[in-house]
Order: sequence, then C-alpha cells, then structure tokens
Amino acid sequence: MRPELKEYKFDSMLLSTFTAAAKLRNGSEKEYRTMLKYIPYFNGTVTAVLDTGEPGQLFIECISKYLENYITAREKGFHNAITTFCFSPGILYAMDVYPICLEVLSVAQTFAYRRGTAEFLDFCNEVGYTETSCSSQRGTLGAFLAGVGADVDMVLTDTPGVCDTNANAFAFAAAYLKVPFFSLDMPPVLSEARSDEYHNSDFRALIAFIEKHTGRKLDIDRLRTVLREIERQEELVAELEDLARMVPNPLPVSFNLMVYATRFLFSGMKECTAVLESMLRVASDNASRGASGLSGSVEKMRAFFCYIDHYTNSLRLWDFLDRNGICYQGNILSRSWSNMAPHVKEYRTEAAAYSFDYGDLDAMIRTMALHNSRMPMIKSIRGPYDAPDMWLQDTLSLAKMYSADCIIYNGTPGCRNTWGMVKLFARDTEKAGFPTFIMYGDAFDDRVESWEASQDRLEEFLRVRRLLV
Amino acid sequence: MMVAGCDVGSLTSKAVIMGDGKIVASVIIKSKARPGDSADAAMGQALSKAGLSMNDIACCVGTGYGRDRISFVKEAVTEIACHAKGAQWLVPSARTVIDIGGQDCKAMRLDARGNMVKFTANDKCASGTGRFLEVMARVLHVELDDLGTLSASSRSAITLASACTVWAQADVIQHLNSGVPVADIAAGINSAMASRMSVIVNNIGFERDVVMTGGVAKNAGVVAALEKLLGLRIKRVTRADPQLAGAIGAALIAGERAQGGKS
Amino acid sequence: MNSAFMEAAISLNNDYVREWKEAGKKVVGYTCSYVPDELLYAAGILPYRVRGFGATEATIGDTYFGPFICSLPKAMLQLAGEGRFDFLDGAIITPGCDSMRRLDECWRKAGEDISGILPKFFFHFGVPHKYADYTVKWFIEEILRLKADVERHFGVSVSDDRLREAIRLFNKSRDLLERFDGFRTAGNPAIAGTEALAVILAGTTMSRDIYVKLLEELLETLEQSRGTLKDRTRLMLVGSASDDVNLVRLIEGERAVVVADNLCFGSRFHADRVDETGDPIEALAKRYLAKNECPRMYGEYDGRLKMLIDKADRANVDGVILQNIRFCDLHGSENGLFERDLEKAGIPCLKIEREYGPLVETGRLKMRVEAFLERIGQRRQSA
Repeated sequence: MRPELKEYKFDSMLLSTFTAAAKLRNGSEKEYRTMLKYIPYFNGTVTAVLDTGEPGQLFIECISKYLENYITAREKGFHNAITTFCFSPGILYAMDVYPICLEVLSVAQTFAYRRGTAEFLDFCNEVGYTETSCSSQRGTLGAFLAGVGADVDMVLTDTPGVCDTNANAFAFAAAYLKVPFFSLDMPPVLSEARSDEYHNSDFRALIAFIEKHTGRKLDIDRLRTVLREIERQEELVAELEDLARMVPNPLPVSFNLMVYATRFLFSGMKECTAVLESMLRVASDNASRGASGLSGSVEKMRAFFCYIDHYTNSLRLWDFLDRNGICYQGNILSRSWSNMAPHVKEYRTEAAAYSFDYGDLDAMIRTMALHNSRMPMIKSIRGPYDAPDMWLQDTLSLAKMYSADCIIYNGTPGCRNTWGMVKLFARDTEKAGFPTFIMYGDAFDDRVESWEASQDRLEEFLRVRRLLV
Repeated sequence: MMVAGCDVGSLTSKAVIMGDGKIVASVIIKSKARPGDSADAAMGQALSKAGLSMNDIACCVGTGYGRDRISFVKEAVTEIACHAKGAQWLVPSARTVIDIGGQDCKAMRLDARGNMVKFTANDKCASGTGRFLEVMARVLHVELDDLGTLSASSRSAITLASACTVWAQADVIQHLNSGVPVADIAAGINSAMASRMSVIVNNIGFERDVVMTGGVAKNAGVVAALEKLLGLRIKRVTRADPQLAGAIGAALIAGERAQGGKS
Repeated sequence: MNSAFMEAAISLNNDYVREWKEAGKKVVGYTCSYVPDELLYAAGILPYRVRGFGATEATIGDTYFGPFICSLPKAMLQLAGEGRFDFLDGAIITPGCDSMRRLDECWRKAGEDISGILPKFFFHFGVPHKYADYTVKWFIEEILRLKADVERHFGVSVSDDRLREAIRLFNKSRDLLERFDGFRTAGNPAIAGTEALAVILAGTTMSRDIYVKLLEELLETLEQSRGTLKDRTRLMLVGSASDDVNLVRLIEGERAVVVADNLCFGSRFHADRVDETGDPIEALAKRYLAKNECPRMYGEYDGRLKMLIDKADRANVDGVILQNIRFCDLHGSENGLFERDLEKAGIPCLKIEREYGPLVETGRLKMRVEAFLERIGQRRQSA
C-alpha cells in the first residue's frame, strides 16, 4: 500500500469527497463545470448521478450522511458495526448502532477513485486473506484491517448458508480486529414454518447480542418507527417497480442503482424515503407523458441483470446502457419481497414474501426477522438454484414480467455460489427463451478484466444475438 | 579448494565455480528440454571457462526445479535456501530477498548468517513471474531485456489487468491498437508485475536491506516500480549477476559440506 | 499395516463395498463430515463418504460447474459422471461450503444428460453454521427428516435401540482411533502419516463393525512393532479436505513424518464422542453440530487456534503445514490467521495453496516442503 494511503482514515477521506460532491450544485453552473475539472477521476460519477436531478443530489447526500454517522457514532455515545449489504440495517438503526456496509463502501470507492480499491484488495492478501475471495467485501475490508478505517465495535453478517465467502470475510475481520462477531444463519429452504421459526429465534439472539454489546435495550417504539418507515419505503419501491413495467420504461437507467444503494444504506430511515419519493416524482412525471427514462428517449431494448452490476469508475455500465437505448429492468439487489411487491401479487408468492405486523413486540421482531430473511441474495441464493423460490424461478418470473429481451449475468470471480451454478442457470434461461450472457469480469476490480474488454464482449453478445442492431 | 553450484531453472540454467570465496567462473545458458542436459551443458561451459575438470571440484550442489536430475552433484538443495545464501554473499546486509524467476517468484527473510527465517512464494499462475514479462514482451514485439529501459521514458503508464496473463495480453493488444505509446504499455506491464510482487513481499514483511535476485532483477522498470510500492530503496546487486544468486548459494553450501558441515 | 486399509483408501468401489452390495444391501454416499452416518448404519445401510480421489480429468466437472470453483466437488462430479459411483443407492449433499453444496444441482443436471449416474435417493441435508439451542433444535428436526426419508425410500425402520447400538459402535471406533493417534505421535512413531491417513480414510468406506475389527488387529500389531521414524522432522497437516494419501506421501518424502493433522477425512473424523445416554437423535445432533474444527462454523477462530496449538504441543511437532485447495476461501483465509498466530507462538508454518486432483504440481509442492524442512533444520542448528 502506498504510504499516502496510510496518512488519513480512508472513510474520512471518502466523507470529505462525498460531502464536497453534495455541495457542487450550490454554486453557479459555471462554478460547477469548473470544479469538475479538478476531479478528473470522479467527475464521471458525479455528473452521472447529479444529472438525474433531485434524486441524485439526495443520493449523494445519503452517502455523505452515512459515512458521517458511523465515523462519529462512538464519540456521540453510540455504536457502529461492520455489516453486509444484505443485512437490513433497520434493526441497527432501531438500536442506535450505525452500520458500516463493506460492499457499498467498496462501490463508493470504485466510483470515486481511479485505482478503485486495488490497494485495499491487495492488503487483505498480504495479511493472509485469500485472493480468490469476493472482492466486494475485500475492497473495504483491507482498509479496516490496515488500520486506516474508523474504529469498529462489532461485526455482523447474515450470510452463512447463503454465501460462504461473504460470511468468511466477516468472520476473518472479527478475528483479525478482535471484536465481537454475530452471524444470522440461513437454512436451505425459504418458505416453510421451520425456517420462519429459525429466523425468528436467530433474530432474537441477534437482538440479545446487540443489547449485550451496547448496553441498551431494544425500544419497542423505536422498532415500530423503523418498521413503519420500511413499510413506507416498500410501498414506494413497489410503485417504482410497477412503473418499470411500462413500455417505454419511464425510469432512468441509474434509478435501479439508487433504489438498492439507498435501501442498503438507510432502510428504515427518512434519508432513504426521501430519495425514493424523489425518484417516484421523476418517474411518475415521465410516465404521465409516456416518456422513456433514457436520456436518448428511445427505448431499443430491455435488459434484465440476474445478479449484480459492474461498478467500474464513472458508472460506465449505466452510461453504456443509456447510450445504447437499453433500459434496465432490475437486478437481484433491487427487488423487494414484501407482500406489496408487484411480482408477489402477480405470481401469488405471498408465502415467499412477508407482511408488516405491529401487533406487539414479538410480532414486530418476527416481521423484522422475516424482512431480513428476504433481503437480496438471502432470499434466493440458498438451496439449489432450481428449487422453489430460488434464483431460477425468481429470474424467469421477473424477466417475463418486465418484458426483458435478454438476461445478463455479472458478478465476481470470488462468487463460489453463482459460479457453481451459473452454467446450469444460463442453460435453463436460454431454454426459456431469454438470450443469456455471462460476463467474466469482476464488478469491483477492473484488474481482472478491464471495463473496455467487458464492454467489448457485451457488445459482441448483443450484436451476435441481434438484440441491438 | 574449488566448489561448484548448479541451478537448473525452467528458462535458464546457471553454473558457478568458486574458490576461496570468490567466483572463478560462471555461466548462464538457456535451459534445454531435459534438466540433466541443461546441467551438463552449463557446468561443462563453466569448467572450460575456468580451465578445470569435474575432478577438480571438491563438492557440487544442485538446485532449481531440475535439481534432482543432475548427475554430478553431491546434494540437491531447494532454490529458496540457495537464493538466501547467495543473496547474502552478494549483499551481506541483505535481510529480505525477492527472487523473480521464470516460473515463480519468492520472497525470503534472512538472519545475519544467511539462514532463511521465513519464505513465501506465489501460488497462482504466470502473473508475477518472468514468464509474464516474456509473454508481454512478445506481444509488444520488443526484447525482454528492453522492457526495463523502455518504460523509463513513459509519461503515463497504463493500468493493466494484472490478475491473469492471458487477459493481460488481450489488454495490451487493445492498447496497442488504440495507439498508446509502447513506453506507457511497458511501464504498465512493469507496474503490474511489481504490484503482484509487493503483495507477496508485504505478506512476509520486509526488513532492510531488501535485495532482488533472479533474472527480473535486471529489469530496471520493475525494480523502480517495486521500490515505489514498498516505499524504500532496493539495494542493487553489483558483486555479480543477480541471476546467479541460486548457483552461488549452491556453491557456498557445497563449500560448507566439503568442510564437513552437516547436511 | 494391513494392506486392506491402503486398498480401501485408494479405490472407490473396494472389496468391502462390493461384498456389501453382493449381499443385497444398500450404500448411501454423503459429502460432509457433518452428516451423522450412525443413522445410516442403524438403518442397515453402508454410509460411504463421497470422494474425488482418482479423477484424472475435469471434462465433466468443468461442464457443469463454472470456473473459479474448488476442484474437489468437480472431481466428485467427474467420478460420478464417469459412472464410478454407480454403486451408490443414494447420496446426501450438505452445505459444507458453497462449492460443495452446488454438487446438488450439478449432479442432478449431469444426471439428466448422462443416464444412470444420479442415485435414486438424493437428499439435501441442511446443517447450521453455529451451535445454539435453536440451531440444535432445527438440526434435530433435519436429522428426523432425513431419517423419515431414508425409512420411506429404503423400506426400513430405524429404532432408537438400533441407533444407540450404532452410536456405541461408532464411539468404539473413535476410541480405537484415539489410541491409534498415540502411535502416530510417539517419540518414535511406528506409523507414518501416509499410512495413518489411509487407516482413517478406510473407515469412511466400509461397514463400521468390520472397521472396528481391523482397527483392533492393527493396534495389536502396532503394540509389537518398533518405531523407525524418530529422526524425521515432525509435521502437522492442517487445512482443506484431503482424501489423497499421495499428498501426505509427497509431504513426508524421505525426511518428514506427519504425526498429526486436522483434516476432514483425517483426525476430525474421531475428534469426539456421541453421548450414549438420553435421546439418540438429540445426542447425534449435539455431537455433530458441536464439531468446531471446520471453518464453516464461523466466529470460532480462537477456539480452533487453541485446539491447533494444543495438538501441536501434544504431538510435539516441529512445524505445521497449512494447505488449502485453490478457491477454498474458508481454509485459505483461516490458514492466514493460523500462520500469523502459530508463528507468534514459536511454531514454524508453511502455507501452501494447491489444486485438488492428481498431483500435477509435485515439483512445486515438493520444493516448498523441502525448503520448509531446510528452514526447520537450520533453526534446529542455530538453536
């Protein structure tokens, strides 16, 4: 790691970066354009986000606020916790524990820095962590292991049974940093009474753990407030998802990213609700005029991403899609599985979903447990890919509902899960009539396959399968 | 008393004859298909350079991947132990040795007597080895030895996909097609190499003086890039060709054996 | 040492399996040490640990699994695809780890393309990743689910008495193996690691009552024999699953002896006992779930480190080899922590990554092991 990287805490640097970015639009247009020249590796990201208008502005403010929250948590008498994107932060906010989501922070860095998280990725290997592990956690994990991150109180994850390399990253972090560790365990089957009971018991153990390590008891009113906010957010997401069914799709391409990123950051808090409301205003406005969300206004194709996106610098994936008239019909990260979700209603999969019950403390804990167990990946990457309610069923039903013209898979070489089944999966999706493309890049590390090479291959696929003429 | 060391590597084979702690003759040749043949050829050339025959050699130790196939050695010792010993002879203050050979790269920590305290080696593939540079040089249509000097004139090094040699090749071709200056590509290649190496070195922890041995040590571009990443000056090897470190170490160990040292 | 052990260790469809099948009895394969195979034994079924040993190609494995996957399940699928597991009447797949758990769909899909390779009884057996009252409860239910399915499919009935009998027998084998360990770790070991691993491995391929007899005979022989390995460097082998005696043979070479290990297919097999009192299903659930030697039980690093240090001390090892199969992140990363902490505790370590399969990288591995032995030798000299 270059000596410069050790001079400041990486998260404080990120905080300054995003705080400044949030203020860019405060001045005149000329001042804005001038400033962009001073951030040659970040201006692509900034313009892509801020060009979406109010939603983008709120989104950047979210990232800034998120960083500030966890960095200053301890001095304010609160706690913080390293956690993962598929661990709903609602319960943490209800207990004044500020989440530090490794994967989202990795994305913040790949969006902001020319070299992305390269050196932090490498640092992990230097201290014995395997290079073949998923780069999503590793990119930020390295910073914490190197001691250039904020001080941390505990490590939480919910991926055992879903994603080993993820769970392993957090177990490693806890062992290395010598802080308390708790993991929620996921049984292979999603919707049966046994699993519900298991999730519930496990979640209560989580609450007990947090209570023990913070010295605070879970407050029923706080929990209710957070759940109400999550419910409101699910309503908004359901509306956005409904709009995305329209032809043309009135949602700008980058909205999908903003939906899931803000939920991972601020599920249960007003910051997330504000972004979702703003996005809904823009999307509804487009919809009322029958307008496409694409900047070129002409929708040529609809792509469904069955897994995750590619987080190379400057949102180049989204730019690629937008420029080519390809609208984005969603990925595994953006889906909500509450009873309000359009696809739940369409396919009557209420058993695989959850509803909000405010009856008493037990009911609310149960709701939170079920909500958490339906987070992206936690929901569908458990048992075999072709089991009920798992990856294949979800992908095909959503691709059909959102009239996707093709399915695109992108992940990381560290994903043992998907790489163990993606060939089988793609065979089935092709058989179901969806041209399917498997990308071999690394969403969080351009050194594996440069974005240029990835883009080349993606274009080739679209050309060869006559999806884009 | 004359002793000798023979280091049979995958790309090159080296032989060194030493007497009274000094190098009497040394040879570096391109390895043949069979390690036995490489060893015979290298040692044969060294002996004739020195005007000696095998009978004049009190003891000979073999090392390198082909060490078990050398007919004329008394003992086979791993190249790790030999490089450690050899590096210490080349630079007595060496405490960390980085050896980038044809097919792997290793980092070693030594104590003051040249004993190896810790070592680690790359466990992945070609990237981070001499093979990587060889492949890249071919794609660029330059001589392997020129990769170092070329990169010196680079103004803006490219960032290369460093995880896989095969994919890195595709990247280089792409850059060439886009008209990127060869110097910048060469600099990117050296950087990628250095960054792979730095992970291994940091894993083992380093202590001054840090020394590089093996063929890649002669690539000024990689050395400079590695210095930048590690944040310190790498002590240059001037006493002899750094590529001979393994054979020198083997010869020194041969000397120890000849004087009754335990094996 | 009775050649029967080595035979069983290096052949899949060995004599014991053949005889069992000729007697009209059933064999069910399982892929993970967290499956309570006493249950199968009690049902009159031979529990057979599925292995990847002997796969020489990856053509079938690579077809269904993607790249970036550990080669162990790929090798298992390869063998299955070649019909080498045709003697199995059933298979139990567990989420031991992500790569292994995908063997479920990969085997099933391969079975759609290649007829006859998918056992008729195919069961996905969940195993929690931690030990708590509710996880034990869930695991008990899962074992009962397996039991019910086995009974239904094979037309058998598993009584509590039969289970208790099986538990006692299996515990006996564990006692015998613990005594066996003593011969490995003696100051002058009478048996090398290669043979020792074969002995332990053999236990996963034959009926336990036969195995117990063979062990008793072996122990008698070992009591009489003289050790010949006291001058060798003593090593402990830790890390990813290894059912390949050749790996140990390569490590031992002429100069070392693997006196202890913490391997799946190795010492983890008999690390503890099942409670012989109380409800047998509960006893099985508790023993199998409490097994913490595997990094799949997240958050238990400190316990595992202590266990390794104790083992290293008791076996009086000179060094520890921490190996992992490429793409095995669980062992690979934990090995990184072990290396740091064991070295700090004064125990030399060698951390190596390898490919599972026929040992194609013998040169590379050999060099590293030899350099490690040289390092230990130098350390001894300067001490």
